[in-house]
Amino acid sequence: MAKWGMVIDLDKCTGCTACTTACGMENNRLPGENWQDVLFYQEGEFPSGTMKWFPRPCMHCENASCVEVCPTRATYKDPEGGLVLIDWNKCIGCKYCMIACPYGVRFYTDEKAPIQPDVKQVFKGDGKRSWNPPWRAPENRDDWKHGVGVQPNGVVSKCTFCYHRITKAPKGTPDLDPNNPALREFTPACVVTCAPTARFFGDLDNPNSEVSKMIANQRGVRLRDHTGNKPQVYYLTGGAGGAIPTDRRDKKS
Amino acid sequence: MDILKTKLTRRRFLQASGTAAGATAVAGGVGYATLAPVSEAQAQSGGGTTITKSICAQCPARCGIDVYTTDGRVHAIYGDPGNPIANGKLCPKGHLGTYFLYDADRFRGPMKRTNPKKGRNEDPKFVPISWDEAFGTVAKRLQALRDKGESHRFAHFYGRGWGPTDAGLYGDFGKLYGTPNSAIGHASLCAEGSKRAKQATDGNNSYNAYDYKNTNYILNFGAGFLEAFRPYNNLMQQWGHMRTKSPKTRITSIDVRMSTTMAASDRALMIKPATDAALALAVAHVMLVEGMWDKEFVGDFKDGFNLFKSGQEVPEGSFTEKWTLGLAEWWNTVVKDATPKWAAEITTLSESDILAVAREFGSTRPAMAIMERGPTAHTNGTYAGMCIHALNALAGTMFAKGGMFYQMGVPYGGLPVKSEDFMDEYAKSPDRKKPRLDLAGSADWPMTGTMMQECAKNHLAGKPYKMDTAMFFYTNPIFTAPDAKSWEEALKDVFVIDTSPFPGETAMYADIVMPEHTYLERLQDSPTYPFEGWPMTALRVPAIKPLYDTKHFGDMIIEIGKRMSGPMGEYYKALGNVENIVRARAKGFEANPGDNGVNSYESWVEKGVWFKKPYHWRQYRGEFYEWDGKDYTKKMTADDVKAKLMKTPSGKFEFKSGFLEKHAEYIQRTLGVTPERVGFPQYLPAKHTGGGGDLHLVTPKTSMHAEGRGANLPHAIALAQPSMGGKTTVYLEIHPETAKKRGIKNNGKVRLKANLGTIEAIARYSPATRPDTLILPQEFGHWAQGRWAKGRLAGNTSEICDNVSDPISGLACYYTGKVTIEAA
Repeated sequence: MAKWGMVIDLDKCTGCTACTTACGMENNRLPGENWQDVLFYQEGEFPSGTMKWFPRPCMHCENASCVEVCPTRATYKDPEGGLVLIDWNKCIGCKYCMIACPYGVRFYTDEKAPIQPDVKQVFKGDGKRSWNPPWRAPENRDDWKHGVGVQPNGVVSKCTFCYHRITKAPKGTPDLDPNNPALREFTPACVVTCAPTARFFGDLDNPNSEVSKMIANQRGVRLRDHTGNKPQVYYLTGGAGGAIPTDRRDKKS
Repeated sequence: MDILKTKLTRRRFLQASGTAAGATAVAGGVGYATLAPVSEAQAQSGGGTTITKSICAQCPARCGIDVYTTDGRVHAIYGDPGNPIANGKLCPKGHLGTYFLYDADRFRGPMKRTNPKKGRNEDPKFVPISWDEAFGTVAKRLQALRDKGESHRFAHFYGRGWGPTDAGLYGDFGKLYGTPNSAIGHASLCAEGSKRAKQATDGNNSYNAYDYKNTNYILNFGAGFLEAFRPYNNLMQQWGHMRTKSPKTRITSIDVRMSTTMAASDRALMIKPATDAALALAVAHVMLVEGMWDKEFVGDFKDGFNLFKSGQEVPEGSFTEKWTLGLAEWWNTVVKDATPKWAAEITTLSESDILAVAREFGSTRPAMAIMERGPTAHTNGTYAGMCIHALNALAGTMFAKGGMFYQMGVPYGGLPVKSEDFMDEYAKSPDRKKPRLDLAGSADWPMTGTMMQECAKNHLAGKPYKMDTAMFFYTNPIFTAPDAKSWEEALKDVFVIDTSPFPGETAMYADIVMPEHTYLERLQDSPTYPFEGWPMTALRVPAIKPLYDTKHFGDMIIEIGKRMSGPMGEYYKALGNVENIVRARAKGFEANPGDNGVNSYESWVEKGVWFKKPYHWRQYRGEFYEWDGKDYTKKMTADDVKAKLMKTPSGKFEFKSGFLEKHAEYIQRTLGVTPERVGFPQYLPAKHTGGGGDLHLVTPKTSMHAEGRGANLPHAIALAQPSMGGKTTVYLEIHPETAKKRGIKNNGKVRLKANLGTIEAIARYSPATRPDTLILPQEFGHWAQGRWAKGRLAGNTSEICDNVSDPISGLACYYTGKVTIEAA
């Protein structure tokens, strides 16, 4: 049993959004509805203004508030890899989870498309899939129980940490390194493509994994730790000694 | 490969008919092509997932890609781990290749126009035709032109050429047919300024190759390193390395807008547009005054004492130069007065920042000064580029480890036929020596190589003559060229052949549409764009049979050629098709196997790339060495260096440019520089265009700008400018004070006014933006290109950009306009 987690080195992230498009291609995302978004902010003013950005996947929280509020247990904590997943067979599209999530990383299918004409009307769905793009993933990848495949109508979707890829990795693998040809196909799409190598993926329960070492040595921090959600995504912010304290102990185990 | 011999079957004919309806709809604005033909075309048998090696086509970088195909459908693209540029990674555009392939608005077969009237609102009324009819029509037209002795009135225009199978065919076509306009390239709309600046100083009319891995300082003048500079994907990989290696590479960026590059750098200097030369000169000034130049490369004062004192001349003959020419004269004429205080006034930067940058750059080794079209797309662009590149001589960067060099070529095999053997009397006749339509290289533009932006104007004026027929490949000047609307006038009476697979503006003016394959359907080799210097060439292997009745552009040229009478037709019959070309080129690898074992056509198809490291030359502590097979040990003579590396008249890096001095009279006439100053890198105030507006308008490319072909991709539109929160468009970035003074609200609609007209946009407050500058990415404003592109704000910035060019490089001055802005 692994507890998969991601480390994102903000000092190396170039804000390019290749993670967004790689995820979008791999997971048949609709334009503008990005499971893996990068948020941009401007701070200060000319001549000393600057821009900042923040890459934001689902945090796959240990104590996920979305799981707590789901009335049908469609959203659940996967016992094998510690992921937060949605069973589309059970989801009734009530959107409680979208309100409960402190990170804004859940998406409902039937919102008005930001880009018109709506691609769902151009590549019309078949009743099962909400749309049917010619570039969709192979049919045998559809896996509603784990929220994988083209999103059906009336459900919420979210980042799965590329469940369909990582679950094929040999059991006990400490880190999924895309530079290792034997593990590349099992690594999440955003980690595979990240050009400056700002993303790392591995087992947080394995103290010898590279991700565990990075979190320790480079003082990994988690977003909105005060909520107690305990994200499984850690950020490195430059390695300075002064940092926001985090508690990595898993009280449940 | 049978994909290269497409026949017009009944099914394909029906698909073509479907397109006709689609194209009409695009022009008329009602209804769209059905998707039924897409599904039909997809119905190809298949088994498991296959990975095909190809090359991305969304920027010049040529990243190797792994294309994933299952059951006849392409569903994923990742970087090729065996490709030295991609290393398994991609930029945000790379993953969008699938969406190009399945663009719902693609043309589905060749068509001809039936409405003779041309205009934005004219429906071309295309009807499908067979490829044979398309080629026959064009060949007949070209033959008739040639029979009248007017073959020069046929012009090829191209944007992104990939290599021997497309743009590589133009030269022979022009020779055999008899036109000087085969082809008119797009470099003067792109980045010709940096090439010319390098030609003027180190003798290489080329972009540089760079050794980022080993550099410790980058002084970046306006290159969108983390957005648009190439190879973007690889630059981001290098960024990750540079920012974590020991010592960490320090980066100072100079630009006119807040970008991810600026934000990620150690220091961001928001310079006044078109004044980069002043900053570069001040850096040079400080390096010289404080004795920080590389003495082993440049040389030193005879007695070892530094005589560079601010404002004072150095005595003639007091400085002995090694690999440079004219340093003391440059100092006496230009640099001695280029103090940080002087530069601060011109650039609006602070004197202390300028001094700090100069000292950092001057005291760190290896250090490099890089640039691209930011500083060079102005009337003073070549001189600005020279000032910047001069810093690379002062820092000893040229050909050094952690420095910059020039790209080596690929040892390709020759073609099985030689065009010289197929030239008839007509082709050989001295009557064929006509000026080019764009007048590049003529007395009007003596220092330029290509001037596409002049063609509409010249055609309208009949100077040097009127075009009869024009064939466009990977370029759309009717939308992108400065004063774009002049092309809408010019192309009305030209027989236009468009080859884009997408229904762009050129296609709306086309008399014949010959849609080419999208890049995932092509067999095509492509030598690398300047990268790390050592030779490399990658291959596009078709990942899927063509979805529609399209063809490879190279095969179009060959098929038209075959239908010409006389030896020209014989040449193209002997050449056969593009696959023959790729196979012939691959023969060269037999004697030169690549580092990855590629030694044949078959192994090239399998691995997707041939490359051979290392780069062959290195400058080390003021001496040049050549690679001996194991190390850089063969010391080079001055003659060797001149022949192979610094190809200037003197064989040195010229602070006093022989190339410019040869054109002293022309430069004095066009730029007002006196003959005694003409050779020196210097700051000239730019002549701003636009008709006297009060705000600079800068129109950058964002990281999603797939060389103008992404405007119809909903996924790309949604990410066009995330830095300003854009989900459906690109926004005009404006300083809040500038906006408020004019009554412009955040998210309010605005009108940009210039002498050529007005365009509209949505404004977004951007406090980091210079108050005297407006930023609007050149991306949208299409009046064709497909259902998602058409009519999307912001307006097309090329419509309000004057057709004014740097007289030296010929680079269109895209960033030099000044406009006024008001709430709309």
